[in-house]
Amino acid sequence: MFSAIISGTVCGIGSHLVQVEVDLSKGLPCFQMVGLLSSEVREARERVRVALKNSGITLPPMCINVNLSPADLRKEGTVFDLPVAVGILTCLGRIPKESIAGTIFLGELGLNGEVKPVRGILPIVTRAKESGMHRCILPRDNAPEGAVVDGIEVIGVVSIAETIAYLQALAEGDEGLIEPAQTDVRSLWERRPEQAPDFADISGQETVKRAIEVAAAGFHHLLMIGPPGSGKTMLAKRIPSILPPLSLQESLEVSTIYSVSGLLHTAREILITERPFLNPHHTITGQALAGGGRVPVPGIVSLSHRGILFLDELPEFKRETLDILRQPLEDKVVQIARSSGVYVFPADFMLVGAMNPCPCGYYPDMARCHCTPYEVKRYLGRISGPILDRIDICVEAAPLRFQDLEKEHVGESSARIRERVLRARQRQAQRFMDLPLRFNADMGAADVERFCGLGRGERTYMERMFRVMHLSARGYHRILKVARTIADLAGEDVIREEHLAEAICYRQMNIREAG
Amino acid sequence: MTKQEREKAYIHWLYQAAGMGNRAFLRDLEQAGTARSVYEMAARGVLADKLHERYRKKAERLHNAVKDYDVIGRYEEMTARGISMVTLGEAGYPKRLAAIHDAPYVLYYAGSLPEDGRRSVAVIGARNCTEYGRVMAETFGTILARAGILVISGMARGIDGIGQNAALRAGGYSMGVLGCGVDLCYPQENRGLYERLLTQGGVCSEYPPGTAPRAMLFPPRNRIISGLCDAVLVLEAKERSGTLITVDMALEQGREVYAVPGRATDALSAGCNKLIRQGAGLVTTPEELLEDLQAQLTGTPGQTFFAGQLSLPIEDTCMETTQIQGKGMELLGLLDFQPRSMETLQEAYRNAYGRAIGIPQLCHTLVQLCADGYAGQIGGSYYLKKRN
Repeated sequence: MFSAIISGTVCGIGSHLVQVEVDLSKGLPCFQMVGLLSSEVREARERVRVALKNSGITLPPMCINVNLSPADLRKEGTVFDLPVAVGILTCLGRIPKESIAGTIFLGELGLNGEVKPVRGILPIVTRAKESGMHRCILPRDNAPEGAVVDGIEVIGVVSIAETIAYLQALAEGDEGLIEPAQTDVRSLWERRPEQAPDFADISGQETVKRAIEVAAAGFHHLLMIGPPGSGKTMLAKRIPSILPPLSLQESLEVSTIYSVSGLLHTAREILITERPFLNPHHTITGQALAGGGRVPVPGIVSLSHRGILFLDELPEFKRETLDILRQPLEDKVVQIARSSGVYVFPADFMLVGAMNPCPCGYYPDMARCHCTPYEVKRYLGRISGPILDRIDICVEAAPLRFQDLEKEHVGESSARIRERVLRARQRQAQRFMDLPLRFNADMGAADVERFCGLGRGERTYMERMFRVMHLSARGYHRILKVARTIADLAGEDVIREEHLAEAICYRQMNIREAG
Repeated sequence: MTKQEREKAYIHWLYQAAGMGNRAFLRDLEQAGTARSVYEMAARGVLADKLHERYRKKAERLHNAVKDYDVIGRYEEMTARGISMVTLGEAGYPKRLAAIHDAPYVLYYAGSLPEDGRRSVAVIGARNCTEYGRVMAETFGTILARAGILVISGMARGIDGIGQNAALRAGGYSMGVLGCGVDLCYPQENRGLYERLLTQGGVCSEYPPGTAPRAMLFPPRNRIISGLCDAVLVLEAKERSGTLITVDMALEQGREVYAVPGRATDALSAGCNKLIRQGAGLVTTPEELLEDLQAQLTGTPGQTFFAGQLSLPIEDTCMETTQIQGKGMELLGLLDFQPRSMETLQEAYRNAYGRAIGIPQLCHTLVQLCADGYAGQIGGSYYLKKRN
């Protein structure tokens, strides 16, 4: 008696279909599982045996062999409990063979026979659909997530007994025992909560707000410097509210990452519809940041994919930890090599850093700052050059004054800022239509040459600025990129002097030449 | 080599071998005769018997210091490196310094020593100075140098270095009094100033060459700064500041003390304002200081004897000046020597001119002012005035 059930496993953020082959034959009673299994997969034996018993099915005293194929692919996770149980039931004739054709099974079993939710549903179901499967049976808690994938019937089940009943009914031509789960992605989109923090809540800090607008428009990485209590964190938290809303495609990417991390289900969300905002504490380890583990799982940088990675108190992060960001900042992916293969996680985020200007926090208010110029310099020096090199915009938040808090007029709302950002992004989309670039910040040196051409007057202006402001070649390119974004925000095709001037204001200041 | 030079070589040996902070010890040694006789006693191993009990350990050190030490060779090596030494009582020893209580017995120097016949002023102040202090140090350094005044200071970060640099740029003489050996440049960032002092002025120290800078060495050198000058000018100092040590020394030595006032609320002017309250001379321009110095000399105020044109503009070599107008002029009026944030400027603009100015426009104007040398950008979003 032999049966083959289709299931799947997650690998990085991708997935593979796995065939669960079950054979019952005469011989000494035993239950063996093979196929390069990790221990949680091998433990399926005990769970399946007890779960079946508690569902009223006793295993016959036979030799049960289970093979998960392809046998050279390492299997992880608990999704195989349900397929193994279904395979055995099919061999026993409790489930008609024809009812399992074209169906993928996923789910963990409890000892009482219930089917429990698992992680990684989204990528596996997507893969199943691409491979031509037409039905997916999975834990009911996961059903809405699976139903996001169009063109495959998703059946959510709560127990083995229900699964058997459903499949038997199916063989008799009754498809209506369990309604296929439906997730209306459109309505999910429209129901998006609008209570995200708004820039209107913050009065004052116009300079920083403007810099944030420019950064958001061109996807420039941003560094905010300011004394404690000047609202850096508040400002950063509001950045997602002015970024363009996630597109469905982007949302699926992000949701996939959250799905394989097991965070989608715990967040009780079907899809991630808001741009992620991650704010790791500065004691974070390199592994937690980049992702890792024996079986690599996405780290913070991947969880902030398409969103904001906010690093508060930047100089307090360990240098080695920050240096790990170099690859994702450059390639927009994290590669983690293991003996089982190289795992690639997407990590296309906007880096927002915040820091005090000096150890005591009050520089350049010399009346209050006790730091020597050397200390100030060393404080900034804690951030490694390669990271600073990727940060195009640097802005300083002034300490809040009472007048700022008292101001009657509220700040501009996020929605209005977002409109301008969207327009600037549209201009970039048009500009880079046939290129692998997406935003101004992505431009390399050659692209800057091509897209940030200056008129004669502007060229003379920059020539002079280069000299008097002691700019470096790299700093010069950064200014041109930011100026391009500022011009895009202003809706202009050519970069003008005022755009360049504003970009110069946002350059990274080396600590002033003291004494 | 003259006998005097020979004796100096032995003194140099003694200074190096005896270590720092041994003025009492050295005085006692002097009573023992010449440095050479001390050397010979040490070489014979009888020094310890001749000295007071409490110097037993030090005598031990001198005994050891004799070994493998080529007295004349080491001295010649030092002079070959351009480092000279004068001893108290010698002809070349600065007269003003010789007159103070506790004058250093030996003064090592490179470059030249300040001439006795010319007036000298110590320009001193906070290391961690503000833009206001910087501008003042530059102005005073330049004008004093043009008037032929020698500018003495400690070559430290901040006011000291800025004032000395300005004096040298204006073609004047300046002396840097160091808290380490004269062959070392401390702080490193004043390397340029140090090199320039060697050719156009001088550096001096009471510590033998090779002495590394240590915190305890700096307060004693302040008495040399005030000792070398006729008047001390304090530009910026906090209420409790190392600068005030120099002022105390200056008062002990009977030097005039002047201070440049600041705002009552500025921590870095608190020291100056307090000095003025205690009776220090208040000066706001170098000309006022020059007038006072002259009155001291001739007894009649009002006449100037300083040559040359003093009030020429202070040129900033790296800046080109262009005519500023419109918004630039308006904003320049709102800038201050204290850094002001863009928000503050925006608001000040609205209050002053009754209309708003947008961030992009503000950036544009400020960058222009920075490029023209009228303003400076501090941190990220702070701007200040760079010229008066």
